Amino acid sequence: MFDSLLTIKMQHRVGTVSLDVSFALTQPWTVLFGPSGSGKTTVLRTIAGFVRPDAGHVIYGSIEHVLVSTAERIFVPAYLRPVRSAAQTARLFRHRSVRENVAYGMAWRSHPEDERQVLDEVLALMRLTTLADRGTKELSGGERQRVSVARAVAAAATYDGVDKALLLLDEPFAGLDGLLRDELAITLRDWLARWKIPVLSVSHDIGECYLLGAEVVRMAEGHVMEQGPVDTVLAQERSRLMKQLGVV
Amino acid sequence: MDLEALWLTLRLAGSTTAILLVIAVPLAWWIASGRGPGRAFVQAVVALPLVLPPTVLGFYLLVAMGPLTAPGRLLMRVFGHPLAFSFSGLLVGSVLYSLPFAVQPLVAGFGAVDREYVEAAEGLGASPWRTFRSVVLPMARASLLTSAVLAFTHTVGEFGVVLMLGGNIPGTTRTLSISLYDLVQDGNYAAANRTALVLLVISMAALLVIYLVPSLRKTDERQADVVR
Repeated sequence: MFDSLLTIKMQHRVGTVSLDVSFALTQPWTVLFGPSGSGKTTVLRTIAGFVRPDAGHVIYGSIEHVLVSTAERIFVPAYLRPVRSAAQTARLFRHRSVRENVAYGMAWRSHPEDERQVLDEVLALMRLTTLADRGTKELSGGERQRVSVARAVAAAATYDGVDKALLLLDEPFAGLDGLLRDELAITLRDWLARWKIPVLSVSHDIGECYLLGAEVVRMAEGHVMEQGPVDTVLAQERSRLMKQLGVV
Repeated sequence: MDLEALWLTLRLAGSTTAILLVIAVPLAWWIASGRGPGRAFVQAVVALPLVLPPTVLGFYLLVAMGPLTAPGRLLMRVFGHPLAFSFSGLLVGSVLYSLPFAVQPLVAGFGAVDREYVEAAEGLGASPWRTFRSVVLPMARASLLTSAVLAFTHTVGEFGVVLMLGGNIPGTTRTLSISLYDLVQDGNYAAANRTALVLLVISMAALLVIYLVPSLRKTDERQADVVR
């Protein structure tokens, strides 16, 4: 679908884990899949601008915007990147309502009507409409998680730039109940596809990857093991899981 | 009791607090988010008035403001009179003397704001200034109060710097603590007692505000714990 939306090549050491990663994003939704400690979150944080890699580069979009290049000593600060992100733990702004949290990163100030419409759509999409005027303290863990994702989605949808912003979601559906998670994943995927907003998410849930029908980058111990359609990359994992469940 | 001295003291403390907040907020944010040897040096300089005898600070300021040095001559030309033995001179001294009391609670307050909130805001495209204004500052507002109250109270109670720098000019540089000293020298213990009591009550009330307000507002963040 995309020529090459984003290319990343990085070497980085954190504690005992040594990362050496290189891949390119070409599909609307790509999942970084792997066990905890495999370096998925560090890769995501490097693209977002919160980690400075020891060596490597990150290049984004049709105009090949260099976000990081250790060779050229380029490091674009996080807030100037064409990237919008939601971390694993929902850090909601406490002194703001759900609606104000979701609207925080929206950048269509000059078109308040359009901005409001997107805001309402995103709230509905993430099943937050009835919670919109609540304070963040009255929310459950799953609700907080949804606000955190909605905030990044709204910011990405209203991003003003040459390219669409890349949406980075770290375990966006963790902590949600099975049924709601499945519904949300599919409606979110379809909505983002309609808006042509590319996504890179992190997951260690096989079901989620299959549900999204995403491209999968499988990581282990700081390296990319394999990249491709979910049916190819996770076939083995899937049959192992099926055996465990006694389905096969 | 010397009402003129009371009024002067309150004016001095109020102006000092206002100036200090303007200086201390960006300075504390820089210290809290910075690193490296530059930061350590600035921290040491800011903390210096905590350990330095006030007379030392007063002495150097007196020299710096006087006609013996280049900056002093410049200041004299700007103000049209020597800064020493004037209200403006006292103000400069008070700002320096109370600087650590304004900065330290803010550094602690800003430092207590989880880095992940800053990243959450930046990940949504918020500039550092917007992040600071809309996320960090509201989360650290308890320390803003502590900072203001400590700066005010500490200025009310200063003695050594005022004596060195201001002398004892009624209505211009004679603050309550100086007036108290005078009264004791004159053997007027009744008036001295009234003056001392006012200083005691101001200090106690200020500390009560610092400790009471956060416990009344449960929603507030951790209290900056730097009362020395």
